[in-house]
Amino acid sequence: MKKRLSLSLVLVLAFALILTACGGNNGNKGKKASESPAASSSAPATESASPSPSAEAPKDPVEITLSGWGASPEEQALLQQTLDEFQAKNPDVKVKYEVIADQYMDVIKTRLVGGEGPDVFYMDAFEAPKMIESGVLEPLDSYVTDDFDIADFEEPLVNAFKSPDGKSYGFPKDFSTLAMFYNKKMFADAGIAAPPATWEEFLDAAKKLTKDKTVYGFGAAPELARQMYMIKAFGGKLTDENYNAAFATPEAIQGLQLVIDQRVVDKTSGQPSDAGAGWGGEMFGQGKAAMVFEGNWAIPYLNANFPELEYATAELPTVNGQKGTMAFTVAYVMNKASEKKEASWKLISYLTGKEGMKTWTSKGFALPSRKSVSAELGYDKDPLRGALVAGASYATPWQAGPTLPIISTNFNNQFVSAYLGDQKLDAAMATAQETSNKEIKAAK
Amino acid sequence: MKGILGNRRAKENIAGYSFMFPTIVIIGTFVILPILYALFLSFNKVTLLGGVNYDFVGLKNFNRMIDDDKVWISLKNTAKYVLIVVPCQTMLALILAAALNAKLRGRNFFRTVYFLPTITSSAVLTLIFVWILNNNGLLNELLGMLHFPTHNWLAEPAVALFGVMLMNIYSTAPGFMVIYLASMQDISHNIYESAEIDGANAWTKFWKITVPLLKPVTFFVVVLGVIGSFQVFDQAYIVSRGDGGPNNSTLTIVLLIYKYAFKNLDMGYASALALLLAIVIMLFTLVQRKLFGDEKN
Repeated sequence: MKKRLSLSLVLVLAFALILTACGGNNGNKGKKASESPAASSSAPATESASPSPSAEAPKDPVEITLSGWGASPEEQALLQQTLDEFQAKNPDVKVKYEVIADQYMDVIKTRLVGGEGPDVFYMDAFEAPKMIESGVLEPLDSYVTDDFDIADFEEPLVNAFKSPDGKSYGFPKDFSTLAMFYNKKMFADAGIAAPPATWEEFLDAAKKLTKDKTVYGFGAAPELARQMYMIKAFGGKLTDENYNAAFATPEAIQGLQLVIDQRVVDKTSGQPSDAGAGWGGEMFGQGKAAMVFEGNWAIPYLNANFPELEYATAELPTVNGQKGTMAFTVAYVMNKASEKKEASWKLISYLTGKEGMKTWTSKGFALPSRKSVSAELGYDKDPLRGALVAGASYATPWQAGPTLPIISTNFNNQFVSAYLGDQKLDAAMATAQETSNKEIKAAK
Repeated sequence: MKGILGNRRAKENIAGYSFMFPTIVIIGTFVILPILYALFLSFNKVTLLGGVNYDFVGLKNFNRMIDDDKVWISLKNTAKYVLIVVPCQTMLALILAAALNAKLRGRNFFRTVYFLPTITSSAVLTLIFVWILNNNGLLNELLGMLHFPTHNWLAEPAVALFGVMLMNIYSTAPGFMVIYLASMQDISHNIYESAEIDGANAWTKFWKITVPLLKPVTFFVVVLGVIGSFQVFDQAYIVSRGDGGPNNSTLTIVLLIYKYAFKNLDMGYASALALLLAIVIMLFTLVQRKLFGDEKN
């Protein structure tokens, strides 16, 4: 009995010791992480009896963390090359690049809440207003120098990362618009000489190109990110001035109805999952859609995975006599809680500066958001990318205030069911608007 | 005498608690404390991003549920899911166990094969099923060959949830099969023998002996099945890429909780929903206990 008791006491003590040790570690974790490089190098410093250990400190590179979502290996390698060039020029900064493979925003938000956020990270324009509003991003205006040349950026892209009071919280690293990708061989077989320029021609072309159950004339993406410009085509609005959903109006529905009718009435449009594909680029590459509206990201993908495919791009067909497309952009932003803001700004200003952006966009994985870089690399004259660059001047940026994530989810949910013909578009949009506004109100 | 006895009891208590101490600490830290914390959160409006902040709001989070269509949609989806999945997986488990309990050649081989789905990671299984249920996938190919109507299983709201159900039945039934099998082998041969003498055939033996004697096990299996089905998350998450679509047809209650907690960072409301789920599961379990009566003891 006694033996057992003492044994258990020992166990308890051992356990308590482990617990306290863990607790102690946790408390110091933040400090230790930043101190450790200094601590390891201070050992040789004392050996050589250096009188001023503080003079040694600047020589140790500051390590900052950069987080982004995953991309193709080629793209990842190009970013690493850009980072290497930055580190070669700035030996005092070391960049730790971290890829967040899935559910990027969820992970970033959780890390920011936990105080473990990266110093610099990607921010999609779509999520930016909400993040700016919550106050976790560092305003960058005070860091900007004249050399940085903000006027060189495409204006709508910079504006996407400004707060309502005009402060900049990020600078766009690149962008893409949507262009029409079409299969040249299918066009020739159907006897279509030129890519359709208007929506009517586009519908006609899709009818000629559709082959029952095997080829869809048009591979559609029935989601708000790809359809927002259709809401605007006849003068509709996505939100009102208080960022409440306001798209269940006849004007907005008139544009969206065109997308629905092509599927439900003409039966010449299909979504990727109808063809067993994951996204439009794959559907197009597999020859299951003759036309898709995709961005610059599809070009390297198609060239790598479907080298035999003969395709070309054109600007999107005009709707209601007006040109329109979507623009997507991503910025580098700084964590407000970062302890290495100077080094972080060095990185941001290099990556979004003329030099870094030139390396990053040199292989055409992304289009430069700076006019000077775009002109230097000649993408406006590129046969495949010209249509994408042309769209920049009239594109609708994929952004609409802090409520967009809520609106987008509800819109997509209902729009898909209208696209599949399960309900009328006006009823679907009324439901989507009502649910969105209810959720926006409840979340306040 | 009494003093010594009391002293001994105290000592035994100390020893007992010291042995349980590690478990108490671990369960306390990782189970009890989070439950209490969730309880606390469900009465607060929690702001996380840009400075953690709690505002006591009383029952507001619970009132919000009444007006939230998604809660009702997800509860309906989950109930539908439970009502179809639990009977199917229980029956399938019973049938599989009965088949393996028969004196077949190569029993161990079949046991391994049948058990494989349970030990395979559910993410991997789900991805395999995503391929099978794909519009050009195996299932549609088979249905097409037999001249049945085909569906785009994961994109059509009307059938998407069935795809998820199919996956879950496939992956959980074998686990329950093992439980059934173990208790089938516990049933004494004498009972079967005497039944045979009375002229019972295999069918009668199964229904009149095996099934009634397995009743406590069935209770256990059904309770676990109901709890597991109410908590379905990973399959629905992967199939719909986290948003419960198309048209909310694969939105389960746990997926909704996840969305509120991590997409909207609305921890207060998410905790309130989690509490709702806990209450629903408890109610179901109580009802089942009533239904299965006291024969469990």
